[in-house]
Amino acid sequence: MTVSEFAQKSGYAVFCKGEDREITSGYCGDFLSNIISRAPDSCCWLTVMNNVNVAAVATLIDCACILLCEGTEPDEPFYARARQLGLWVLGANENVYEASKKVCSLCKV
Amino acid sequence: MECIRLEYEVDGENFASAGNASESVKRTLKQLGVSPASVRRVAIAMYEGEINMVIHAHGGKAAVEIYPERVDIYLKDSGPGIADIDLAMKAGYSTATESIRSLGFGAGMGLPNMKKYSDEMKIDSTVGVGTTVFLRVNFE
Repeated sequence: MTVSEFAQKSGYAVFCKGEDREITSGYCGDFLSNIISRAPDSCCWLTVMNNVNVAAVATLIDCACILLCEGTEPDEPFYARARQLGLWVLGANENVYEASKKVCSLCKV
Repeated sequence: MECIRLEYEVDGENFASAGNASESVKRTLKQLGVSPASVRRVAIAMYEGEINMVIHAHGGKAAVEIYPERVDIYLKDSGPGIADIDLAMKAGYSTATESIRSLGFGAGMGLPNMKKYSDEMKIDSTVGVGTTVFLRVNFE
């Protein structure tokens, strides 16, 4: 399933749109060094971190989208960087566990 | 064959621009047709180095040399230096402050990740003078 389809079917908030890509896996984490070394390409990355470095790391790992959980919203520098880099940033009110269940069931990953 | 040489100033006070140099190198390697796996290794190793310079050393300079079969990266700062390199290399060891941790850094994985994703790594450090890190990544 592509990110735009996932955004539509999940009903999650869309903070920023990028290139529409297939979500082929998922990864949950907040420690950026873990994420850059372990998150798979084209994943949906679920996190509660909302600072500008999330955008830099998302670009490095080439994830399909960032899913901010637990009602987290991007701060202004993060939002600006995500727009500049053309990243998908979605937002869920659920916790990471509940949101990843939705990624699993909708994207079949 | 002549190499492509790129140079960057890493701004030590600015977390917002941290990662710009790695992102630029990543883009260049992609354009040169380097395999995605190799591009990723270079990007990770360099990003960790860049972040270390921002967190610990008030910034520094990064020089990147791209050859047909490899990339050499030189990261030079005038920060506090590393007193015990073996200890700093240990996964999970970190001197980052609580405020740095709240940004998602300080897991003590920076240097271990740089070692893991490079084929050669050398650290020269003098306390009170600064640190130079050399990283070589061979393309697959």
